[in-house]
Amino acid sequence: MITKYFSKVVIKFNPMGKDGKVARVFLSSIPPSMKGSCSIDSQVLLSSSKVEPTIKVTFKDKKTIEADPRNLNVQELGNLFDRHSRQLGLKDSLQA
Amino acid sequence: MLGKILGLNTKTSVPSITSRWYATAVKRNTFKPLDSRKTFLIDSYASLMRHNQLVLFAHRNNLVKNDDDLFRSQIKQLGGELVVINNSLMKVYLRSEKDEDPADAQTTLKNKRNKHPLFSVLNGPTAAIAFKENDPSKIKQLYKVLKAAKEKLFVVGAKVDDDFYSLDKLDTYKDLPSKPELQAQLVGLLNILGGYGLTRTLESASNVLHLTLKSHHDNVENPKTEQEESK
Repeated sequence: MITKYFSKVVIKFNPMGKDGKVARVFLSSIPPSMKGSCSIDSQVLLSSSKVEPTIKVTFKDKKTIEADPRNLNVQELGNLFDRHSRQLGLKDSLQA
Repeated sequence: MLGKILGLNTKTSVPSITSRWYATAVKRNTFKPLDSRKTFLIDSYASLMRHNQLVLFAHRNNLVKNDDDLFRSQIKQLGGELVVINNSLMKVYLRSEKDEDPADAQTTLKNKRNKHPLFSVLNGPTAAIAFKENDPSKIKQLYKVLKAAKEKLFVVGAKVDDDFYSLDKLDTYKDLPSKPELQAQLVGLLNILGGYGLTRTLESASNVLHLTLKSHHDNVENPKTEQEESK
């Protein structure tokens, strides 16, 4: 997954649920070198809480993509965000 | 031998003088080679889970060396130990949790399809934080330490004694007083509140018996004294 163009990531998930694995693997795929450029806001939900689990990514061009980790696997989630990241990458390479 | 060192209760025959009494002396028929890393890890997880009453499972998120050292030292100060877990090998142990030797070939095959509630926390990078004693206040202190860690290290579940605790359960559990404190409270409560009534109730049976015997004794004695008086 391309994480280079992320500027903000909001993750809400219940570690016990179906979304647990996807959210945790997604969280760990953001390298520590992104610490300065990408802010991570993670919230662990209890199974009793009514907040819906979400993964929300804001890109450098302010576009926001939201996904429900319960309906996707890790690969699909990566593809979803990569689609926009690749566009940004193309733009970058044309400008350079 | 490995099992012995790790405190496993393996079925071992006392090695005869002629047999070599290192590594091969304990005849373990392990699934993976006896001196392999996998067998060693399964044994170490068995010892970790069996010798620690409180084991919390945490998500570890790409800890850089500085963070890793910091959290390890902070947890050590609380009296705990942070161990990074290999999920699949931990699952091998959990499947054969109730068996003597979880790394044994037959046991592993027999329990192949076993499920365990802890499987749900063994997704993605995981670390175990183990405490020897089961003390809810330790969880509270640990939560305080991990608050600063934010998304780098956070608890996702726990093994308390032999039960699996989810986050909801852990939240209520961490505010409870520890076992010795509860026992002390119970004794205090019995002393103050039930003290008088309880001792009276407990004493009443022996009191009644004592009085009955006393009256019987008096009855036996009295005729004598009456006779003496009449003389």
